[in-house]
Amino acid sequence: MNITLTINFNVHEVECAPSETLLSVVRRLGYFGVKFGDEGGLSGADTVLLDGKPVNAGSMLAAQAQEHLIVTIEALGEHPDQGWKKTEGLSPLQQAFVESGAIQCGYCTPAQILAAQALLDTNLNPTEAQVREAISGVLCRCTGYIKPVQAVLKAAAVMRGEEPLAWETVNWERNAPDEPPFTAPENNLPMLNVIARPKVIVAPEAQTYQTVGKPEKKVDAVKLVQGKPAFTADIDARGMLYAKVLHSPHAHALIKKIDVSKAKALHGVAAVLTYHDLPRVVYSTAGQSDPIPGPLDSFSLDHKVRFVGDRVAFVAAETPAIAEQALALIEVEYEILPAILDLRKALDNPTIIHDEPEFVDFADSNKERNLAAEIRIDIGDVEKGFAEADQIFEAEYVVPKVQQVSIEPHVCLTYWDEDDRLVVRTSTQVPFHTRRMLAPILDLPVKRIRVVKPRIGGGFGGKQEMLIEDIPAHLTIATKRPVLYEYTREEEFSAARSRHPMRVKMKTGVKNDGTITANAMYALSDTGAYGCHALTVTGNTGHKSMALYVGDGTYRESPNIQFHADVVYTNTPPAGAFRGYGVPQGYWPLDRHMEKVARALDLDPIAFRLKNAIRPGEYHPFSTAWNEGREPRPEIVQTVGLEMCVAQGKAAIGWDTKSGNEEWRQNSGASHLRKGVGMAMVMQGTAIPYLDMGGASIKMNDDGSFNMLVGATDLGTGSDTVIAQMAAEVLGAPLEDIIAYSSDTDFTPFDKGAYASSTTYISGTAAVKAAQIVAERIKARAVDMFKAQGLNVESSDLQLSNRMVIEPSGQTIPFSEIALDSLHRSNQEQIMGVASHVSPVSPPPFAAQFAEVTVDTETGAVKVDKLIMAVDAGVIINPLTASGQVEGGMTQALGYAVCEEMRYDKSGRAIERDLDRYHIFRADEMPELETIFVETFEPSHPFGVKAVAEIPMNGVAPAVGNAIRDAIGVDVDVIPVTPERVWRAMKK
Amino acid sequence: MITAYHRPNALEEALKLLSVPGAVPLGGGTLLSKPTADAIQAVDLQRLGLNTLVKSGNILHIGATLTLQTLLESEHCSDALKRALRLEAPLNIRNAATIAGTIVACDGRSPFVTALLAMDAKLEVVSASANKTETLTLGDILPLREQLRGKLITKVSAPLNANLAFDYLARTPSDSPIVCVALAGRSVGRTRMAVGGFGKCPTLAVDGNASDDLAAAARNAFHEATDEWASAEYRMDVAATLALRCKTQLTATRE
Repeated sequence: MNITLTINFNVHEVECAPSETLLSVVRRLGYFGVKFGDEGGLSGADTVLLDGKPVNAGSMLAAQAQEHLIVTIEALGEHPDQGWKKTEGLSPLQQAFVESGAIQCGYCTPAQILAAQALLDTNLNPTEAQVREAISGVLCRCTGYIKPVQAVLKAAAVMRGEEPLAWETVNWERNAPDEPPFTAPENNLPMLNVIARPKVIVAPEAQTYQTVGKPEKKVDAVKLVQGKPAFTADIDARGMLYAKVLHSPHAHALIKKIDVSKAKALHGVAAVLTYHDLPRVVYSTAGQSDPIPGPLDSFSLDHKVRFVGDRVAFVAAETPAIAEQALALIEVEYEILPAILDLRKALDNPTIIHDEPEFVDFADSNKERNLAAEIRIDIGDVEKGFAEADQIFEAEYVVPKVQQVSIEPHVCLTYWDEDDRLVVRTSTQVPFHTRRMLAPILDLPVKRIRVVKPRIGGGFGGKQEMLIEDIPAHLTIATKRPVLYEYTREEEFSAARSRHPMRVKMKTGVKNDGTITANAMYALSDTGAYGCHALTVTGNTGHKSMALYVGDGTYRESPNIQFHADVVYTNTPPAGAFRGYGVPQGYWPLDRHMEKVARALDLDPIAFRLKNAIRPGEYHPFSTAWNEGREPRPEIVQTVGLEMCVAQGKAAIGWDTKSGNEEWRQNSGASHLRKGVGMAMVMQGTAIPYLDMGGASIKMNDDGSFNMLVGATDLGTGSDTVIAQMAAEVLGAPLEDIIAYSSDTDFTPFDKGAYASSTTYISGTAAVKAAQIVAERIKARAVDMFKAQGLNVESSDLQLSNRMVIEPSGQTIPFSEIALDSLHRSNQEQIMGVASHVSPVSPPPFAAQFAEVTVDTETGAVKVDKLIMAVDAGVIINPLTASGQVEGGMTQALGYAVCEEMRYDKSGRAIERDLDRYHIFRADEMPELETIFVETFEPSHPFGVKAVAEIPMNGVAPAVGNAIRDAIGVDVDVIPVTPERVWRAMKK
Repeated sequence: MITAYHRPNALEEALKLLSVPGAVPLGGGTLLSKPTADAIQAVDLQRLGLNTLVKSGNILHIGATLTLQTLLESEHCSDALKRALRLEAPLNIRNAATIAGTIVACDGRSPFVTALLAMDAKLEVVSASANKTETLTLGDILPLREQLRGKLITKVSAPLNANLAFDYLARTPSDSPIVCVALAGRSVGRTRMAVGGFGKCPTLAVDGNASDDLAAAARNAFHEATDEWASAEYRMDVAATLALRCKTQLTATRE
């Protein structure tokens, strides 16, 4: 049918199918700021304004939008300076989003801005609650909503004509370490105001930095705020086909017969592939360095399916609808096999999930036992420690399977380039691993594959996987045409990766004075149908939680710690990497257990934890025993800011006036409500020592600006920005002169990718090294140029600052002069530095997480009122991006604590398959969030950095559990802490 | 799959189009736009002028295609009904989803339809084949919604002479309810209590006097209500609690 649409005041005559959604049509017309997030409209990434109101373009037919005005992000502002053509620049909302740090991955940003625009069009003086409701239809998995709300409030102020706040000049709330803790507000201040910022206690070494430590705007913010076509699916390749996958309806079955003749005959179908058509290459989908530390147990297509959602066949067709029709025409005859859906029944079950002869063991995997990995870490002698204990405490805890829910689903476009090289444009955290891993599967050499990583709409570990790239690649090889494959939201839930669910047993021996004599954890972990990340995720469950408590006194010198785990196969969708990488699974049992032990011994729970916690100068106990399947190398922990984190967090939440205060507990306005506070102490790691490597190259341009190419993968975290800030600090250049690009396997240096909390630490150091090389060359050329002016100086006398080389008497040479001289005038050379970095250590960040809750004693409902995290992540390169990491991480962790859970029915079919049943927090239901940075200076990094991205996942759940205990005196040992679980605990 | 799209200009034209097998009324499109294997002819109702909101005496007449958000923003919408509407869907969906579409497509977890049921809402339904208008009570039609095939809801009427109380339990403040209770009390003493959070549609638990044992009625409504979200035992206990809280709300409103 032919329809007429008015989009951004432009009239478009469009031919479309009656079933085509408005989302599909506006993207066909090039309005790529409107994104796909889900089929139900609950993500809101597809927001447009229809006659001024935000609606979901994916949830309405294109034909419905006729005779209405459609507005997309492209109608708002644009880059202010377009050469000789000047524009009005960004809109106030866009400007505020850029300045407020409201953009992380940027995938939902256009939708948030449009929703906010609709509010401000009718109300220029909104309350915070009104702002939150206005953007409540747009889910954000990155930010925790604080900064987007701040941005809207700020834009409203600007639009009201109030004096624009010069964001960069705001005095960030910074304390020196010897100053008293920040104090809680004495009255009920609004939880948020326009200039709310994280608090930073600055390390002395970091006081003099020019760019490092400053709230610089993200280098990719301006394009993302305009909704520019920056993401994988935001291009149209000529002749592009659309891929769809037939998924298994059975949890465990053999494919006895598969007939694709009807599907192939359907008009518009270009290819149908089954296991008959593809080479049988066994691999692991885990995006990790070579050799992959896990079993090889996957095939692109196999004659056996191992979970509901497993792959059966691939289709490429002219349209997604035709591809869907073709799937329905594929006839498959299955022989159904017994399925294992309960992890407790997997080990040594007569049903073997992986009976293929190609299976390749890694370490202690054993397919005959359905065992993907076995971990046995023994530090000291726990039996001796238990024998020396006055009391022993044992309990079992359960943690669920949960989803990353990046708003941009997995998506990949493949095509042959003019040199017959396969280009893979994909939303991945691991472009270099993907290239290496794809090569044997496609029977192509690595050199004939180019992986391009555009902007990524969130990953959270779910894209540390070579998950779907082989599908369009096979179809491109089969058809010679570009192929786009994008997961639906249901596929995300049924066929992507998730967090390993576990059942964890704790056994702790303590002296009556609170000294831990031995601590043991056993984890039974469910990797699902494939063993990707099985060993390493579950290893970290113990490695980065059980290391926190070494004991006190002589036990501190020789701790007794045991971590054993069995990682089993089941016929459920595979687990994999998810922000925190196994560590959140460790902290729910560990910290809840510590709370119980302290209370049973009538000890102050915080003092008990600090008494036994690891301290600076001590060995990381696990570094002596385990290294992700590789040779362990002992490490000393240099910096531990835990005590200051505790002091700051306690002050911020008002711990001393609330904890154990019965009067305060009951002061909730209703007799059935009780308040409580809780806390947890956590640690994480920073990169994998002796393994994780990142590279960077920096070259100088004619105008004195610099191109910085990094293989590091900014998945919305702001890593391009903070790496550029570090380079800028070394080079004495403003951030705007560093043109950051990541990542493309043809152009950027190798980087292992975005995982293990390593990017700022590893890739950042590589960039610093490259910048130092460049700086030395600039100085060397400046020495010659100063000499030509009659000034005798040494390179070591020179300073780089403000785009200039400055000699001791104050004479300067601008970078632009150095550049022109080096490129055009004398002894020509390209000033350039290339460097890489690998670390011998993995310095742990630490944090104290606090929670305040209100519990309904009649229904068991828990409302989390406040989350405060005080973090020692070393020196903070950019407090805007770093606090965004903490706020978003706490929000994701809050879902883990109270509502997120992936379950399966008796046939193995996922119960949660959309964003209704799988609820993630919306803007209008968030608790108050606060971030405090307690800086320490980590000596193994040039700017003293440790990691910040993953640690916010670890403490929220146990802090909430402990707060519930404080409120109502009962323990819940299973998360999510649903109302019924609390109610049942109260009934006991 | 939608194979045809029509946008009729008048009710008669719409009814004629709807008389064709496979024809389905299209309100906001929030549900119908999703892919389906069935061949569907979508009949878009947006030109029929059914998006009205009129208060007539003690009755609020809500046009079938009025959006949830327009109703929420109305001065005639009580605080309790607003609460239920906010919980029904986030703003973007409320801006598109229609009143009638929500009634036709809802499951038992719908807080808005639970509230309408307590209010004793009535539907004006036009038969496509006979061009006959009939009035159906929401409670009667909810379990039998397949009987609406070939018919068109044109209006929903809800009495305003009853005070409404609403309460719910969910995993988070904006999550779909596991249990919700709506209690409508009229000055003459008649009380209607509807419960939701389970099953294919909300259920009427009480239609009688204010003196009825609301807690017992609420408990009884969830006897068989075990699903993946909660056990029947738990729902029964919570429903009784919420029923009493609603009663307290109503009492406070009257005072």
